[in-house]
Amino acid sequence: MQNDYIHLILADDDEDDRLFFTDAFSELKMNTRVNTFNDGVELMNYLNKEDALMPNVLFLDLNMPKKTGIECLIEIKANTKMSGIAIVIYSTSASEEDIEKTFVLGANIYIKKPGDFKKLKKVLSEVVSINWQYHTNSLNKDNFLLRL
Amino acid sequence: MRTKNLFKSVLFLRIVLLFGLFIILLIGGFTYQHISNLTDSTKIVISTYDVNVELEHINSYLSDAESGHRKYTLTKDALYLVPYIDARENINNSILKLKKLTIENAIQQKNLAVLNNLIDKLFTNFSKTDVLVKNDEINTESFKSRLFEEKIILDSIRRQVKEITDLENKLLDDRQKDYQSDLRFTPLFFYLILLVTLVIIIIAFSKINTNLIKIKAQNDQLLIFKESTNQSEIIGKHGNWVWHIDSNIFTYSDNLYRLLGEEPQSFEANFDNFLKFVHPEDVDRLSKELDNMIEVEELPFVSYRIVQKDGTIKHLKAYAKAFYSTDGQKRLLGITSNITDEIENFLELEERNLELERNNKELSAFNYAASHDLQEPLRKIQTFVSRLEEKEADKFSDSGHQYLERIKSASARMRALIDDLLQFSRTNKPDKEFVIADLNELFENAKQDVAITILEKKAQIKSDNLPKAKVIAFQMQQLFLNLLSNSLKYSKKETYPVINMNYSKVKATDEPHLLKATKDQYHKITFTDNGIGFDQKYAEKIFDLFNRLHNKQEYSGTGIGLSICKKIIENHKGFIFAKGEINAGSVFTIYLPFS
Repeated sequence: MQNDYIHLILADDDEDDRLFFTDAFSELKMNTRVNTFNDGVELMNYLNKEDALMPNVLFLDLNMPKKTGIECLIEIKANTKMSGIAIVIYSTSASEEDIEKTFVLGANIYIKKPGDFKKLKKVLSEVVSINWQYHTNSLNKDNFLLRL
Repeated sequence: MRTKNLFKSVLFLRIVLLFGLFIILLIGGFTYQHISNLTDSTKIVISTYDVNVELEHINSYLSDAESGHRKYTLTKDALYLVPYIDARENINNSILKLKKLTIENAIQQKNLAVLNNLIDKLFTNFSKTDVLVKNDEINTESFKSRLFEEKIILDSIRRQVKEITDLENKLLDDRQKDYQSDLRFTPLFFYLILLVTLVIIIIAFSKINTNLIKIKAQNDQLLIFKESTNQSEIIGKHGNWVWHIDSNIFTYSDNLYRLLGEEPQSFEANFDNFLKFVHPEDVDRLSKELDNMIEVEELPFVSYRIVQKDGTIKHLKAYAKAFYSTDGQKRLLGITSNITDEIENFLELEERNLELERNNKELSAFNYAASHDLQEPLRKIQTFVSRLEEKEADKFSDSGHQYLERIKSASARMRALIDDLLQFSRTNKPDKEFVIADLNELFENAKQDVAITILEKKAQIKSDNLPKAKVIAFQMQQLFLNLLSNSLKYSKKETYPVINMNYSKVKATDEPHLLKATKDQYHKITFTDNGIGFDQKYAEKIFDLFNRLHNKQEYSGTGIGLSICKKIIENHKGFIFAKGEINAGSVFTIYLPFS
């Protein structure tokens, strides 16, 4: 982390969700830089570029056209250049099946998109301020899903 | 059992007959001996008479000789010498005969030898006298002494003859006594034989007669049994066959032919003829199974197909068991049953099941997708409303604020509905994992989920100690949660909620609720609250999906919570009942099978 800001990337096909996400961080004033991508293909194209700036935390929506969040997750974990990125699953559903699958594939935390903007801000600020080193070491299925 | 008795009686009969034959033979032997004794006695009597007669002859010949000789002495006429010479010859013959007759008696032989000597002496004396007569020395002393000697010899002869006769008579007497006693016993033996034979015949006859009666009764029964077997074979669509393994002979029942679509007994019962009907794909397997039958005493069911002459395919099932006849012959008794209907029904049922399963899966997928996809726009509405409230609130009029509140509560309600529906569809999913879980722990977890409400409402929850049970853990926790939140939600506004959870282990027969119970013992858990209760007439309706007893403004509820409870309990093969009294509270009773 050579930069003095936190680099965040969100891949989500939903325009509203991207808006909420950027709004939340602009209101949070946490010295972050946010990039968004409209789907998995765009995201992977960016990440695969030679001079791509790797994010500190990557937020992945699961249900995206062209390339789903799960597919992105698998690609990223298979690539040594990217496998160190902290990955947050950012999804509408919190089905047992999705949680189980992404946990096994190596995601770091799972957020269910809240229906309240205040709660959204709270959960995003919590995720960004996590001590990833510590969190990753003590990661287990119980604290994988972030509950508010 | 009966055949055994019959077998015994046959054996008995054989023993009686053998014993009887032995006795008859024995008595016959005795009788033969007696009769031959009798014949012997008769022979001996006859021989005694013959001896006596011969002796008489000798006496008379002697008299003839003596008188002839005397006449010759007086007349010197040679004519008178003829009887004298004949007598000599006759006597010799008689002596020979006597010797033959008494050959077995040494004493008589001796006596006869003495007699013979005396007679020889007599005739020597006669010859000497003759010489004197020729010389005319008749009145001489020597002539007189000759005559005297002749008299002495004759006396001795007569004594000897008498002695022989006496001895012979004495023997005759003894023999006659034996003969008499033999004669006395003979009829008795005959009578005895007759009697014993008669007894044996009577015993055998009565035995045969009772056996015949028994056999007749058994035959009647067999006839009835055979007829009823025929009937039951027709009704039950099965036939039977017997394989006499040692002689390789088969017998097929009439209905077995009918199963093959043939007239009863229309072809020779053997395995090759039967195989002609078996479906080509099943022939090898069936032949193998039949070989197996010889080795194994009892076989599992064998299923195979047959093709009738008209082309109809039938499914048959066979079962065979070895048994041994009373003479130790091994036989295989088989039942072959027509299971075509069962198979067809089974296939149809299986297809329907598959269809149902597909439908269920589709429905569940639809339910899940619907609830899931509905969440997304709703979440956005809620987020935008919260944005609006935060950023633009000061630009609204009073009614604007009110509308905002209405949108918020309507979307909150929709969120609750979707969540519950999702929950409901999850309880419907077939992948249920039963594990041994501590119900106390699940109950505590459920309590944690409503901890805030408990605090807010100052609710009091008293609970018994729960056991461990084999359950779908997350569902049981959901059940506890739903029941708790139900009681908290429908509490009276003016009093603090009191919820009692009680536990007991019960027998199904002791619980009037459990008429349809399939297990003997159940865990009974009751939730009693002091809430607003409900009218008992809705006791069953409250478990229906989307069924609500109160309007939305009064009590927030989706009408799904208790349906989920019911679903969960059904998943556990348990029962749930509700009992309510308006303004007094409600009681929910759940029964879980005790395993």
